[in-house]
Amino acid sequence: MPVIRTEQLTKIFRVVRKEPGLRGSLKALVRPRFENIAAVNQVSFEIDAGEIVGYIGVNGAGKSTTIKMLTGILVPTSGSVQVLGRDPHRQRVANAREIGAVFGQRTQLWWDLPFIESLALVGRIYEVPPARYRQLLKDFEDTLGLSELLHIPIRNMSLGQKMRAELAATLIHEPRVVYLDEPTIGLDLLAKERIRDFIREQNRGRGTTVLLTTHDLGDIEQLCPRVIIIDAGRLIYDGPIATIKERFGRHREITFETSEATTAIELPRDCTRLAAEPHRLTLRFDRTRTTASQIAAAVMEQIEVLDFSLAEPDLASIVRQIYQGGLREVEGNPRS
Amino acid sequence: MIHAVRREARVFFAFAAMVPKLYLAYNAWVVVEFVVQILFMLVFVAFWRAVYANTTTLGGLDVGQTINYILLAQIVAPLVQSRLVSEFGGMIREGRIAIELLRPVDFQARYAVESLTSLVVFAVQKLPLVLIAGAFLGLRLPSDPAAWGAFALSLVLGSMVLFLTDWMFACLAFYSTETWGLGVVKIAVATFFGGALVPLQMMPAWLRSIALALPFSQGVAVPISFLAGVTPVSDLGALLIRQLLWLVGLGIASRLVFRQAVRKITVQGG
Ligand SMILES: Nc1ncnc2c1ncn2[C@@H]1O[C@H](COP(=O)(O)OP(=O)(O)OP(=O)(O)O)[C@@H](O)[C@H]1O
Ligand SMILES: [Mg+2]
Repeated sequence: MPVIRTEQLTKIFRVVRKEPGLRGSLKALVRPRFENIAAVNQVSFEIDAGEIVGYIGVNGAGKSTTIKMLTGILVPTSGSVQVLGRDPHRQRVANAREIGAVFGQRTQLWWDLPFIESLALVGRIYEVPPARYRQLLKDFEDTLGLSELLHIPIRNMSLGQKMRAELAATLIHEPRVVYLDEPTIGLDLLAKERIRDFIREQNRGRGTTVLLTTHDLGDIEQLCPRVIIIDAGRLIYDGPIATIKERFGRHREITFETSEATTAIELPRDCTRLAAEPHRLTLRFDRTRTTASQIAAAVMEQIEVLDFSLAEPDLASIVRQIYQGGLREVEGNPRS
Repeated sequence: MIHAVRREARVFFAFAAMVPKLYLAYNAWVVVEFVVQILFMLVFVAFWRAVYANTTTLGGLDVGQTINYILLAQIVAPLVQSRLVSEFGGMIREGRIAIELLRPVDFQARYAVESLTSLVVFAVQKLPLVLIAGAFLGLRLPSDPAAWGAFALSLVLGSMVLFLTDWMFACLAFYSTETWGLGVVKIAVATFFGGALVPLQMMPAWLRSIALALPFSQGVAVPISFLAGVTPVSDLGALLIRQLLWLVGLGIASRLVFRQAVRKITVQGG
């Protein structure tokens, strides 16, 4: 049974379009020219209980706007949202009791209070029974390494410490659905690892449903069997991460380091040039149509090669292609 | 039902308990504010003494009553002055509103509880000021407990009337985040028509009727007049009924306004 369901979900922002300078400001004041931005455009998806879904897309794709509608903060312009059977905006308080949300750049904790006091307050607001609270605090202390943070006010915490504190505060009432909007933004590898472990543990141990946005594909690879990709407000892919990898896995990249300039080189058949540096040549090819050795031979005929390397595509480059409009190659969304 | 109310009460108590903690985090300003307030009081007392140099009563008040009233107004007006307008403005501009709307409590009730709690916290904090005004500035407080009771009751109700009024103003922040000017105008209007600068009795009739038609005097002039010896306690009943009517009217209006306004919200950034 889906816990999150959106149907043709759309949010249009109306912004005043202002020309630069004082004259522009005055004109915008006297006769404002409005422009509609479809931040989220007819997006439909369903998420089942216990899933971890990665919600990805370039900057400005509409990820945060979607999450704000799912949490009930923003009202959709059209279309509908249901979370745990409720309309999150109309039943904001009831919805809020059962969900948790982390917005990477904000905190729900009190800036000036020691973390432990903030956390206790959050516990009381969500009416976590004291015994349960102590139990969870102990659990979280272990996975998130909270004990060194308990007496520090949020304002004195580093980015990574703040995010650990934030996650603890978001999950202390054991929400059934959690939205994480860039939970690993700006963190070092170790901190990311810790946070991923924590998210995974919450999902496995408590069956928490997680919707996660990120620009870090490591998060996606490690946590999300399923991804939803949006671009300019529209859903462009919804399905298993494995499918994307399979379809795009046909492509390989081969890079040559050369002693001469590579600009004049004639490209071998069935491949496209990626990077354009004078002494480096990166080619992408479909391994079902040609082979690395054929390409290498063709290049070496024309130019002296110092070194070369072959790369399997990682998720990052796959996603880059999708963002750049290469989705046609993964046609046939399994979900839609 | 009773269980639900008790549960709500516990949650709100959690918010209320925050107020003194947050307040103490900023206590460096308390001393500065204290000194500034004493200076203001000295100026006001000198001013009104000068005004009364050639007359014994103004608007039916003698110099003692007026000075009592003005000193009390100086102490009480800041207690009932909410910062909702700038709070909403900042919250929406910075996008913090998103976090606040995610908390599982009634948004308005929560701020009302915080506002009442700060009223108590600030009232306690003003006690030294009251003592100094009594010892050096000519503040005379009544010994009649009924006057104190009337004051306390009408202060609490009046502060809620002002809270709801501010709430309506604050909701404008959902439509335009340029709330600085709005806040300044609101404070000026509220201070003047609330009777914090000049007793309402001294205003020309037309101005006074405007002041009485507006809610602002419910939080300042009405309660302190009981302590200043300007309003007899026997008027309490009629004044409380009027305050309750304000509360009901503004309570309904402010919720309708908020419900509309929150749909307009555009959370900035992130
Ligand atoms: N309050 C707002 N008013 C006007 N336009 C907005 C508002 N919020 C977002 N937008 C616009 O909507 C689009 C989607 O923004 P959104 O914040 O959802 O993107 P995002 O996918 O979260 O991007 P990022 O990865 O940068 O966080 C952008 O074009 C943005 O400029
Ligand atoms: Mg975003």
